[in-house]
Amino acid sequence: MNPTDPKHPWARLTAAARRAPHTGDTAAPYGFATRVAALAFTQERVASLFERFSLRALGVACLLALVSAAANYSAVTSVLAEDNGVATDDPVAELIELAI
Amino acid sequence: MPDELPFDVPAALERVRNRDQAAAKELVDHLYPLVIRIVRSHLPRRVAEEDLAQEIFMKMFTRIDQYQGAVPFPHWVSRIAVTTCIDHLRAQKRRPEFRWADLSEGEADVLDAVMTNEQDVAPDDAVESHELVHKLLDQLKPDDRMVIQLLDLEQKTIAEISALTGWGQSLVKVRAFRARRKLQKLFTELKRKERS
Repeated sequence: MNPTDPKHPWARLTAAARRAPHTGDTAAPYGFATRVAALAFTQERVASLFERFSLRALGVACLLALVSAAANYSAVTSVLAEDNGVATDDPVAELIELAI
Repeated sequence: MPDELPFDVPAALERVRNRDQAAAKELVDHLYPLVIRIVRSHLPRRVAEEDLAQEIFMKMFTRIDQYQGAVPFPHWVSRIAVTTCIDHLRAQKRRPEFRWADLSEGEADVLDAVMTNEQDVAPDDAVESHELVHKLLDQLKPDDRMVIQLLDLEQKTIAEISALTGWGQSLVKVRAFRARRKLQKLFTELKRKERS
């Protein structure tokens, strides 16, 4: 016997359970709808403000990054050029070269 | 006294989209009976029904711009309610063990009766049967439980369950099969242990 059989205990239990009266009021409790509606609009406003400020902040950050890169371009390139020179004067590198 | 006018859902939705808070309140009041019935049928343990209802309405307002009108709005909200209940059921990691000792006197009598004879349960025992069915449903995996509850208790069709949950019809059938196999195993075990 399987649970789909009407004689199965499960089938008889569910048939009886369906006859159980529905308990509890189905009307919204006092103030529930007002609270939920207010909360929904508040959250939406906070989310949209956050979204707007985040996008603006991202734009400003990108702009600042570009400006600082442009302003320091010559300094960065000179440091890179110096780095190449330093590599040849590296005492450790010289020692290794001597050992070989 | 004249009959009350039916609630105009499309008009209310339009007003909600235009940020009319009074319309949002009216919509919640109108849909509350539908949502609370779903919540009460599938309420996970230790979750307050009002909190769950509020969560469902908040989701409804967050996603309201995604509603295209392909299905009636109450169906769309029902789907949100059912999936929210499933999420809460899934969050309950542990399922309590089903034991004869944990049943009330009435529930144990009903279970004893259905397992030892083939007669229908007495109409007076409907409430005990309802409690018992929910305790047995607690033994199933959340997804399987949802399917078997909608199928056997709420007598929905496979197509209706598929529409409500968003699962394909084959998946619904597989879950129903798995749930029934587990229930069968449970009844066999209960019969073996008998009432002490």
